[in-house]
Amino acid sequence: MKVTFLVVCMASFFAVSLSADEKSSHTLFDIKNKTFLEDNCQRCHNAKKKKGKFRVDNLSYKIDSNLTAASWQKILDSLNSNEMPPEDEDQPDGNKKADFLDALANTMVKARKSLSSQNGVITMRRLNRREYSNSLRELLGVEINVMELPGDTSPGGFDTVGSNLFMSSNQIEQYLSLGKEALVEAFIWKNSQNVKKKLRFEAEKLSEKYKKYIAKIIDAKARAERWKAGVEAAMAKPENKAIMVKLKKEFKHDSKIRRQWAQIKGAPAPEDFGFNTKENNSDKANSALRPYYLEYFQHYMTLPNIDRGAYLTIPTVHPSVLPTGYLEFQKPHSWPAGNYIVRIKAGADQKAPKDRRLLEFGVNAAHGKVMSTHEVTAPLDNPQVIEIPITFTRKHTSHQSRQVFFREKASDYYLSNPRRVFNKAKKENKLGLEYVLWVDWMEIERLPNTHIVAPGIEALEVPLDNKAKNIDQKALRRSFENFSQIAFRGEKAPKEFIDRLMNIYAEQRENKSKHVDALQYTLSIVLASPMFIYISEPSEDKKARALTGEELATRLAFFLWGAPADKQLTQLGKSGELFKSKVLKSETKRLLDDPRSSDFVHSFSYQWLGLDRLAFFEADVKKFLKFDDSVKVNAKREIYETISYTLRNNLSLKNLLKSDYVIINNVMANFYGIPGVNSDEFIKVPVPEDSPRGGLLGMSAIHLMGGNGDESNPVERGVWVLKKLLNDPPPPAPANVPLITRLANKALTTREKVTMHQELPQCKSCHRKIDPIGFGLENFDAVGQWRTENSYHPLGKNGKRDKKRVKKWTIDSSGALHKGPSFKDYFELRDIIASKADAFSHGFSQSLVEYALGRPSGISDEMLIEKMVKGSKSHAMRDMIHILVSSKTFKTK
Amino acid sequence: MNTTRRQFLRSSSALIALPVFSSFEHKAFAAAKKSKNQLPPKRLMFLSFGWGVTEESWYPDINTPGADYKLPDGLSPLKRHKKDFSVIQGLYNKHSHDGHSGSTFWLTGANRYSQAGVSFTNSVSADQVAAQQFGRHTRFTSMPLNGSHPKISGDGHGEGLSLAWDNSGKPVAGYNSPFAAYHKLFSKGDVSIDQLKTMLNQKRSILDTIQGNAKYLQKKLGKNDSLKLDEYLASIRDIETRLVKEEQWFDIPKPKATLKEPPKEADGKQDIKLMYDIMIAALQTDSTRVITYRQPVRTLLKSIGVNVNQHDMSHYHQTRAEKLDASERRDKAQSALLSGLLDKLKSTKEADGSSLYDHTSLVYGSNIRTGHSLDNCPTIVAGGGAKIKMGENLVVRKDTPLCNLWLTLLKESGVKVDKHGDSTGVLDEIKA
Repeated sequence: MKVTFLVVCMASFFAVSLSADEKSSHTLFDIKNKTFLEDNCQRCHNAKKKKGKFRVDNLSYKIDSNLTAASWQKILDSLNSNEMPPEDEDQPDGNKKADFLDALANTMVKARKSLSSQNGVITMRRLNRREYSNSLRELLGVEINVMELPGDTSPGGFDTVGSNLFMSSNQIEQYLSLGKEALVEAFIWKNSQNVKKKLRFEAEKLSEKYKKYIAKIIDAKARAERWKAGVEAAMAKPENKAIMVKLKKEFKHDSKIRRQWAQIKGAPAPEDFGFNTKENNSDKANSALRPYYLEYFQHYMTLPNIDRGAYLTIPTVHPSVLPTGYLEFQKPHSWPAGNYIVRIKAGADQKAPKDRRLLEFGVNAAHGKVMSTHEVTAPLDNPQVIEIPITFTRKHTSHQSRQVFFREKASDYYLSNPRRVFNKAKKENKLGLEYVLWVDWMEIERLPNTHIVAPGIEALEVPLDNKAKNIDQKALRRSFENFSQIAFRGEKAPKEFIDRLMNIYAEQRENKSKHVDALQYTLSIVLASPMFIYISEPSEDKKARALTGEELATRLAFFLWGAPADKQLTQLGKSGELFKSKVLKSETKRLLDDPRSSDFVHSFSYQWLGLDRLAFFEADVKKFLKFDDSVKVNAKREIYETISYTLRNNLSLKNLLKSDYVIINNVMANFYGIPGVNSDEFIKVPVPEDSPRGGLLGMSAIHLMGGNGDESNPVERGVWVLKKLLNDPPPPAPANVPLITRLANKALTTREKVTMHQELPQCKSCHRKIDPIGFGLENFDAVGQWRTENSYHPLGKNGKRDKKRVKKWTIDSSGALHKGPSFKDYFELRDIIASKADAFSHGFSQSLVEYALGRPSGISDEMLIEKMVKGSKSHAMRDMIHILVSSKTFKTK
Repeated sequence: MNTTRRQFLRSSSALIALPVFSSFEHKAFAAAKKSKNQLPPKRLMFLSFGWGVTEESWYPDINTPGADYKLPDGLSPLKRHKKDFSVIQGLYNKHSHDGHSGSTFWLTGANRYSQAGVSFTNSVSADQVAAQQFGRHTRFTSMPLNGSHPKISGDGHGEGLSLAWDNSGKPVAGYNSPFAAYHKLFSKGDVSIDQLKTMLNQKRSILDTIQGNAKYLQKKLGKNDSLKLDEYLASIRDIETRLVKEEQWFDIPKPKATLKEPPKEADGKQDIKLMYDIMIAALQTDSTRVITYRQPVRTLLKSIGVNVNQHDMSHYHQTRAEKLDASERRDKAQSALLSGLLDKLKSTKEADGSSLYDHTSLVYGSNIRTGHSLDNCPTIVAGGGAKIKMGENLVVRKDTPLCNLWLTLLKESGVKVDKHGDSTGVLDEIKA
């Protein structure tokens, strides 16, 4: 079946005029739907009665204005809310109503889109947040935190769509201060480009702390025992007989009685034995009698090589006392901003399970997030060195932000409940969790950055420090001219602009600013000017024109790098060479092969696949112990790495629907239970035919988005598949639909609960499409692990889970697509979805066009999109980009 | 500054009494020419929460309109204020269709599809209409507060940077934390007036430069692009207006802080409470007369120990259980917070002995009722600023435009306005 069901039903109720004049584009609501209105509405809403001043008999089925759309919206709303037909009138047949609503809701989506179409006109736009940040990086060689700017991503639109990118006075002020910040940072990098620093921390320092700590607790125990003996001696004395009877009645435990030592005549004070805190010192002495971790610590001291290094494990005591859970050290405060490298020399006990031989790295031990995860493959007696690059900016001044740390990979739940982990291990081996990772040393090195290109800084012909007495005004003027021209992507700044900059610099100096401050202050104005902030392609109204070479270069670079063109591309644009299809193709290839294309992979994938939902949910760490910080970071990366791999190798988009390989690293391999992967980096790993992995639907992060961190949400999953994979987005959830409460808080399976959606026609119209797909994915839990069973505990009256009413069931993932093929399980569903590569490819192309051109895709793009879908070699990803880039549309303003 | 004139203002709900100006005194001081006998000014506060409420336990019974209604469970923490607020039932925004945007059109009533060729339009919000007139008298024209973190979606507020939308329907950015708002209100910086003057002049030089650059660019542009660049030019004018205002307020020092510096970060519930304190401080010092606040939901839930996802919570109808429980606990937590705010409004005195409450109109609500239901928007009105009936369950005709309420409040507060959004007239039936 080559023609997809969705194409069939689209054609049935949606037609679009493709007349030459695009302005008249409209959406047709299939006239056959008229019957439904005649049968159910027209008796009151006709020319004579005009009930509610509303008629359905004269409605135009050609929706070509917002006014007509509003009338149809009214019908949609009143049917959805059950307002119409009135309760006392005959109600329409459920299925007929569902079909009508299905058709109307979908038509309305198309109509809204068509009515808001810009007819191919690209509005000038400002740089979005990421392009702004990238532009600063290309100009100044540094990256600063620009998160205070608005995020620019809006539901349903890409962050490149100009008409949605607004400007505000706040923002202009933010540009001024962020520009200044970037300049200050760049000056530091430039002025310290040769600085080399290196510092090593020997891990045995931690072992020394252990040693001291153990001695301390042994000493405290001895003192506490002497105190205990003293108290017990006093208790035995005859003069204390009466009080002892009373105390024994009152307290069961000896320790509680000792706590009352003051009432016992002759009993010594704990203070006399060195327990001198501001709290109750008898408590301190009592607890010193039972040093909980002593044996475990003493075991530590017997481990090999502790005099040359230290072992890492779960935290046992408070880190301020003894940081057993991590090793940390600081980048010295005085070392300048720049690129650094952190190294660690470590070995791992080869007997330990693979998932325990992983090190997590991050900044800020107490609150920081895991930045990367590294497998220690070397044995304890022959440790290896692991290198991690990291950048420190001048903003990293606080103690925490300079503190790098290593810890064993572990669940948040473990980290916050160490006692439980410890107890569980102690039960097994009588000691506590085995020590697996041994660290010899850690070091940090600042690398010289002479190789970093910062054209904006190179353009300055004046000193970058305050040593010179006089600043050559001609050199200063040239500096402003050159800097502006680079910042303005090759456009020369007008003379008056430079004049003003000269004046402002002079004013600053008159106001006693030093040269560097005045220079940075003045240059920051360039970075808030419209010629930097806006990407403009000047043109007369309503006349489409071909882009100039420079404009084409800029458009291409912002498409694939989210950044301005580099020298080579600019040059090719200027000379017109770029218009040669061979050159354009090779430049597109060069840009895609450049590491800067990761911006495209990230920001396009994020918006195309709606990955913002990943930030909505925190997985329940107690329920999903395996879903720890490392998995969370890497699950997200898996999506990007897979798309990046597809793009790099010009593979078919079909691979994203189903593939016989996965792109994963050791962390994800352990999570998925795929053996034999040791790489920290993401690599291609083959999977067998019967593996649920391979393609987007097999990814943990995709299923995380389709749930709430605790349980799966078949509706969200179904909607996502329809929107993103099948290019058949359901209309937005209608407002004011009567709510179903009949079966509330009953012990039901997920499928039973969700199926209730379909009781009302207004819900059924969409949910009959959505839900079966969601059910087909039920074998994935809320973090994307495979499961065959599930359960539900309704809450009792006390608000707690009612164990008596637990419902357990074996997951049934069978079903059938609405008016489509049936499937018996996830694997068959995946095959059906994988067979709809044309639809997937169509949705991808549509998104790509929007993203690249910065405007919603419209009717006028259909030909191009068709070409991308059909003209590419089996939906090869790069081919599609080449077709888009070489199209007339891409080269036209 | 005449320190002997400082008063100790006792706020009964505050644990400590801080030395402050009463609001009227500060204003008198700030605008020395004004008559002392003048009445305290009118204020407007708009507070919204995403995702609506629990419809079964938040609304009073619609069949018992008037003062003699039973306070529903969701509002029970407001018991001590029952006579001092009213619930209004029956209001809605007829153009709203999106069940995930509790705040985008709440104060505007706009139709997002009103303009051909654009997929989203909005119009001016009620607070900004008031700000244009009230704002002339205060250092801050209005104070849009936004506790719903702009980088995190999922609070059910929908698009926007705060509740405020400017005259051209563009989003107005808000202050995102009590900490930021506090410093805006009270931080003096360590510059002298001369330095400040120099700085303002320098800012003007910057504005001239970037404006020149914009005009240079604009010369080559067609109409559409030129309109886009107009946004930039309008933003420059906004800064200029602000500079003029800063100049006018040059020699009037910022008021002394009436509260401690809030922490940079606080958990959800505490965060809302701190923001309420900031609002009181802003009104008390007459730093502004118009405040909006987009309340956080996600962090509130977390802080009261609810682990249900906020969006799931609003769809409690099917499963009820933990979702309904979460929804009800959210309602109570919010009502308790509101109750605390009303305490403070009542206990903060004006110079003439009346309270802030007497001159303020506070609206508390959302465009979403519950789930995806957008009719009978949850609406609470409190305060004596607009002479609305208090202590009542006010049931108006079903599907009355929410903008009729905005129009009523604006007019009764003394704002000269004839229409707002899709308003069809004022709500005479709710006037006292």
